[in-house]
Amino acid sequence: MYIVRPANIMDLPGIERLHTSYEVRVTTLPSDRDKLSELLHTSTQSFQGDIENTQDATLIFVLEHIETGEIAGVSGIDAYAGSGYPFFNYRIEELVHASHHLGIHTATSILYLSHELTGSTVLRSFAIRPDLRGTPYFALLSRARFMYMAQNPDDFSDRTVTEIQGLLDDKGDSPFWNSIGRNFFDIDFATADYYVGVKSKTFIAELMPQHPIYVTLLSEEAQQAMNKAHPATEATCQLLFKEGFERSRYVDIFDGGPVLTSTSKNIHTIASSKLKEITTSKLVGGLKYLISNNQNGDFRCGIGKLVDGIGDHIRLDDSVATQLQVSNGDLIRYSPL
Amino acid sequence: MFFIRPIERRDLNALFDMAEESGIGVTSLPANHDKMELKISRAVNSFTDNIAQKDALYLFVLEDAETGALAGVSAIEAEIGNQDVWYNYRVGNSVHASQELGVHKQTKTLFLSNDMTGATEVCTLFLREKYRQGVNGRFLSKQRYLFLAEFQERFNERVIAEMRGYSDEVGHSPFWEGLGRKFFQMEFKEADYLTGLGNKWFIAELMPKYPIYVPFLSQEAQDVIGKVHENTEPALALLQQEGFRFNSYIDIFDAGPSVECRLPDIRAVKESVVVDWVADENSVAIDDPRGDVWMISNRQFVNYRVILIAGANIKDGHIVLNAAEIAALSLEPNSQVRAVSMRPAIPTIRSSK
Repeated sequence: MYIVRPANIMDLPGIERLHTSYEVRVTTLPSDRDKLSELLHTSTQSFQGDIENTQDATLIFVLEHIETGEIAGVSGIDAYAGSGYPFFNYRIEELVHASHHLGIHTATSILYLSHELTGSTVLRSFAIRPDLRGTPYFALLSRARFMYMAQNPDDFSDRTVTEIQGLLDDKGDSPFWNSIGRNFFDIDFATADYYVGVKSKTFIAELMPQHPIYVTLLSEEAQQAMNKAHPATEATCQLLFKEGFERSRYVDIFDGGPVLTSTSKNIHTIASSKLKEITTSKLVGGLKYLISNNQNGDFRCGIGKLVDGIGDHIRLDDSVATQLQVSNGDLIRYSPL
Repeated sequence: MFFIRPIERRDLNALFDMAEESGIGVTSLPANHDKMELKISRAVNSFTDNIAQKDALYLFVLEDAETGALAGVSAIEAEIGNQDVWYNYRVGNSVHASQELGVHKQTKTLFLSNDMTGATEVCTLFLREKYRQGVNGRFLSKQRYLFLAEFQERFNERVIAEMRGYSDEVGHSPFWEGLGRKFFQMEFKEADYLTGLGNKWFIAELMPKYPIYVPFLSQEAQDVIGKVHENTEPALALLQQEGFRFNSYIDIFDAGPSVECRLPDIRAVKESVVVDWVADENSVAIDDPRGDVWMISNRQFVNYRVILIAGANIKDGHIVLNAAEIAALSLEPNSQVRAVSMRPAIPTIRSSK
């Protein structure tokens, strides 16, 4: 049995262990211990609402095995992309080069360096033990974030975005990076990626070319990779599409990976979640739901069975109530799994 | 004897023949009858002051006095970019640096500009194949500086020349393939031809407007930025001799360099002198075209003429001309001429002691 709860500094070794089992790079989860510890510290402050500047709020959740205490996954939210600094993406636009005089009309794509998504809420740091990918806990770890957002709508932006890992070649190199960034840094993708982890994405992004980039001038491989998701992100993308996220005109400036966006209040989990008072009970049947308590610092989200009715109360299984740290009369939030 | 004179309407067929002979690359000489006629018309009106000075095009021809045949043509545009929009790429630099990361990278960047608008351009130098000997090419090119020296007020202080860029034996321009071609399917030859017809502006409008980071171009395209076509190397050498230097601007189609010099700093302008002349049938003939040859202009505008004479005819305070030379220059008695040596004066080297 797994639940999702706020990460704390004690989880550091557990999160570090996850690194070794990644199928996908998680740039937004630092491998540097100091960086990670700093991140967890900020997260704890954010959950407790005592962060000095709300723009800096970052929430890191862990997927914990209740019986063993093992950390099997991690996910996160940045309340405001960029934390007061510009949040960089490329915006893909079409330009038409036309001449009435010569009877010529050519459409060409161009990448504009954009700060447009600055201040959006960003989903980040998603990593799960590979063997849990095909289980409901995958959805639990990802969607628990939306349950948290549903109960604190004012702490987040109207728009939620997520950057999906882009295509890499067989050698783990990014063709998109090789065709753009590399020209300006003389460092390979892995090194750039490392700097993003230990410095910040904004820090590196500020060194990127400021002028718009004509897609037709990029290498064939880079053009192919642009706005394509890494195959390993398939499950993540499917889940987010189901939640109502859509492809956008934005791509990552490093690997050209797609940026998915949604209006926060329309995210399926948020829109469909309901709040009711519980009556604890034994052996409740029904359908599986994501269920969370109504706490922030002590936020818990798990999976349990409910029978949803028209009344103001809902029955919740004792054991689930224990895991979510709720008792008779407390409010829970639930959304169909 | 060869002499320079302004173009006339009767030169149309000869000029058209030259255009056909010139082929790709000499974009200001399109083999199109109507355009050619318009061009000559504009030049004739320029020499008769029938159009605004800034719109003037001064077309000169090199004529064989014996046969009346035209050997070549050269021109000066009073001010470029007034009727159309004049585009160049400025070859600039972008620096991406971070002390923390130890990154300091300079990236050559092409910025689309109209910076040359209003400059005077020396252009359209073409010498027919069979006259490519002796001093003809140099004469055709350099006589224009006597005109600039004489009528400075008609021109901009900034004088430029655009050099034909590199293209291979079959007329492919690697720069065009690497850039322009990516934005619309057109062969360089066609773009070049359309440019000659006065469509450069229209094509330029189709070109990318944002700066181009050079590393995004193919290696072949990068290698020819600012490089001249091998047939243009002699012309470039002549311009350099006169003080013209690469000014960091290149052609947006073939990346040929633009060279520039302030009008008063052009060697032939600076060194030219106004002197008296005397008639003397014993004037010395030019025996060695590579020797000391001088250009002599009659200082007239409508009836502008330039000839070459041997340096030996330059005397103290005057110039010796024979009857044929006086006739070719159609000089009035008691007039003066402007003279300058074809070649830069040999600098006197003095010991620093």
